[in-house]
Amino acid sequence: MAVSLRKILPFLLVLIPAFGFAHGVTSADQELLRSDSLWAYMQVGATHMLTGYDHLLFLAGVVFYLNGIKDILKFITVFTIGHCITLISATYAGITANEHLVDAVIALSVLYKGFENLGGFKKLNVKAPNLLLMVGVFGLIHGFGLSTRLQSFDMGQDHILAKILCFNLGVEIGQVLALIPIVFIITFSRRHRQFTAFYKAVNWYLVLAGIGLFLYQMYGYFNGIE
Amino acid sequence: MHKQNTKLSKALKHKFFKPLYYLIAIVLLCSHDLFIKLETYFLQPNQEATLSLFNGTFEKSDNIITRDRMLDASVVAQGERVAIEATKWEDQDSTITNLKFRTGESGTYVAGVSTKARNIELTAEKFNKYLKSDGVFDMLQQRTNDNLLDKDVVENYQKHVKAIYQVGDTKTNDWKTVLGYPIEFVPQANPYDKHTGDQLQAQLLLDGKPLAHQLIFADFIKSAHSHQHGRHEADHTHDEQEHSHSHSHDDAKHTHGNSETESHDHSHDEKTKDHEHSHNDGGHNHEHHDNVDSDKTHTHTSGQQLRTDDNGVATVDLTEDGIYYLRTIYMARATDSDEITHRSKWATLTFEVTHAHNADAHAHDHEHEDHIPTWVFVLGSLMIIGVLFFIFRKRA
Repeated sequence: MAVSLRKILPFLLVLIPAFGFAHGVTSADQELLRSDSLWAYMQVGATHMLTGYDHLLFLAGVVFYLNGIKDILKFITVFTIGHCITLISATYAGITANEHLVDAVIALSVLYKGFENLGGFKKLNVKAPNLLLMVGVFGLIHGFGLSTRLQSFDMGQDHILAKILCFNLGVEIGQVLALIPIVFIITFSRRHRQFTAFYKAVNWYLVLAGIGLFLYQMYGYFNGIE
Repeated sequence: MHKQNTKLSKALKHKFFKPLYYLIAIVLLCSHDLFIKLETYFLQPNQEATLSLFNGTFEKSDNIITRDRMLDASVVAQGERVAIEATKWEDQDSTITNLKFRTGESGTYVAGVSTKARNIELTAEKFNKYLKSDGVFDMLQQRTNDNLLDKDVVENYQKHVKAIYQVGDTKTNDWKTVLGYPIEFVPQANPYDKHTGDQLQAQLLLDGKPLAHQLIFADFIKSAHSHQHGRHEADHTHDEQEHSHSHSHDDAKHTHGNSETESHDHSHDEKTKDHEHSHNDGGHNHEHHDNVDSDKTHTHTSGQQLRTDDNGVATVDLTEDGIYYLRTIYMARATDSDEITHRSKWATLTFEVTHAHNADAHAHDHEHEDHIPTWVFVLGSLMIIGVLFFIFRKRA
């Protein structure tokens, strides 16, 4: 079944605004968390994932490379386990780092995925690292990013573990919600004869976005932008 | 037997507790501004929240406010003024009085507390120091000009405070409510229509009339919206523009970590009164009403120093995100009384300011206000993907 680009573009338009909110963790979120309800933590976790474009770009990169739902589930599960480990443990232990530096590394993960999808390692005659392993490693890094963000909020002193777990659950819900349109668009685009051009365009975009986000975060780091 | 016990009890009270109360008074009494303080002034509809009375500085309260001191405590919302029942107030400890409440509908709310006037007797030295530390410079100047710096005083003082907070996203007009206190700040615009970088004008009313050329101090502390909170107290960071201070009752120092730091000493002697005790058979209670510190060094004059214009209006620069507090002490000589020499009326107003954001959604980046605007990112991404797509399609 041939699906025209005209049909795909509206879905892209639906998806892409979600990329644009630049970690939309807002002071409204802080107010929400101040209610101290676990539901609020779940809500903020989901919001953060749905509006955190770097996480979504990376996930899009992972899904683009894979064929078949089974593969997608396997890689997403590894990514999920990775980010759960660091999100929960780093937050609980109070381990944090400069957000710009963490986000810079996450930006590099986006760049990496685009580069790998475009066969960059092959072109350089370098053996690409195990993809599943790299997705797991990047999962850990993304989890640390989520943890750093969560720790930027006043979480109070009570039920810390429950709050972290609820935030984490919210992240997973957000991830599933984000993945639905991503998988949908990519699956349908595969059937289009212009898929190769679309594939290259999106993955080159990931490379450029990765570089751009990395430079942006480094600029923020060196200029002390909060 | 019962009589003996009563006698013993009275003796104990007299010999032990009374000196103890004086000691407590000496240690605790300080020059106290009164503020209505919330953890955040941005609340959600039907949310549990706590409003605190800070009697000391904006950052540290030293004394509670007993209910019998409150002439009025009320909240104005949706055009309706509702009195806060005295029984609703709770003392968190010996320093902070709290009101736990549930917010109502979305809107801009005003809370106000007005306290009874009290008298305090002060030595000339102590009075002069307090005028300086609390920014009552005009009276200090008057005393200097009139060669009265060595005159002891009896001051009659009263405090009237307001806070304006925003519930939900809907802005209502209650912010302009005049509560009718002997002295009060009335903003000339809704503080929640203002953002960081803007200015807010506030009119000072004395007995309902604009008070011209009155000295006002405006300062702010960083709020939850404007700095990181660590999970542990040690993680809580302040930048150089945030005021921090520490009290030490031992070395009698109180300093503010502000560039305008000023420190001085207060001394206390037995003449200081307004420290009430009531003893009865069923027990006793005591209360500190003093508005002048004894053993601490204080300054209350940090931040912007402003003067009201002919219409009683002062303009406050909202330079950064934070919780802003305006304070003033209007003081005049009491020429119509044999008992007192001065009358003072204290007023504060508190509210919070954040950077500009989408007013409809009341959503803005917590840490990322300087980040890439959404529309730039979306449009840029679409353009890049579109351009790349056509390039690769042509090549194919």
